[in-house]
Amino acid sequence: MIATPTVNKDTFSVSTPADDEIRMTRLFDAPRKLVFEAMSRPEHVRRWWGCLGEGYSVPVCEIDLRVGGKWRFVNRHPQGEAAFHGEYLELDPPGRMVFTEIFEDYPDVVTTVTSVLTEEGGKTRLTATVKYPSSEVRDIVRSTGMEHGAGLSYDRLEDLVAELSRA
Amino acid sequence: MRTDPLSATFAALADPTRRAILERLARGECSVTELAEPFAMSLPAISKHLRVLERAGLITQRRDAQRRPCRIEATPLRDAAGWAEHVRAVWEGRLDRLDAYLDELTKQQTNPQETKP
Repeated sequence: MIATPTVNKDTFSVSTPADDEIRMTRLFDAPRKLVFEAMSRPEHVRRWWGCLGEGYSVPVCEIDLRVGGKWRFVNRHPQGEAAFHGEYLELDPPGRMVFTEIFEDYPDVVTTVTSVLTEEGGKTRLTATVKYPSSEVRDIVRSTGMEHGAGLSYDRLEDLVAELSRA
Repeated sequence: MRTDPLSATFAALADPTRRAILERLARGECSVTELAEPFAMSLPAISKHLRVLERAGLITQRRDAQRRPCRIEATPLRDAAGWAEHVRAVWEGRLDRLDAYLDELTKQQTNPQETKP
């Protein structure tokens, strides 16, 4: 387990470039090539993806890194397992990667993730744009606090859901 | 329109009147007339919203003479909220972990003798 504090946490920000998209951006203290490799090689992905602490691991990490190639990651966590899979749609290392992503518990929701890596003052900025099947889906995701309380249109729904989960 | 359960839930929740109806029903079962009261809407207009909510499985309506009481069904809402919360946690967690991992990798490259994987 890696215990290093995340120094670039404050550089995380979220925006909504289209009504069915969420864009997340974050700075990393590493060269672009290394960030791309960390995101696309199984030996690296196993070490960070979904490894939130003790009791987390990545028992399955399959990457067929070519356009049309499939990927599948399984995250083991203290409550069980969460599996994700998808297909690479565009690859342009070390600057761009587009893939579909499906959380297997909800196989009907197909999202498309566009990851762009840019150099910024010796660091690397990752901009991940997630496209959801509809604006409603996007709004629900946004309402769960991705923007840390900024301009939430569904805050009343959040309250309702909280009320229901207590019931 | 997509017909999978999660999309039906999201589509039903997209309308502010329907969210307000659900909030009212979260406090307890009530009739269509009672539901219509706080809204400047006709009974047929409210009934239309109720049909959307019913098709999405978010409410059920009992055939109790004229009253036709409505009640909220929590499961689809919990599923939608669970999915969304999961997505949020996953993304935040992923980016934090990637940052920590890259930090470890770059340290290894500068001090190879000091840190071993």
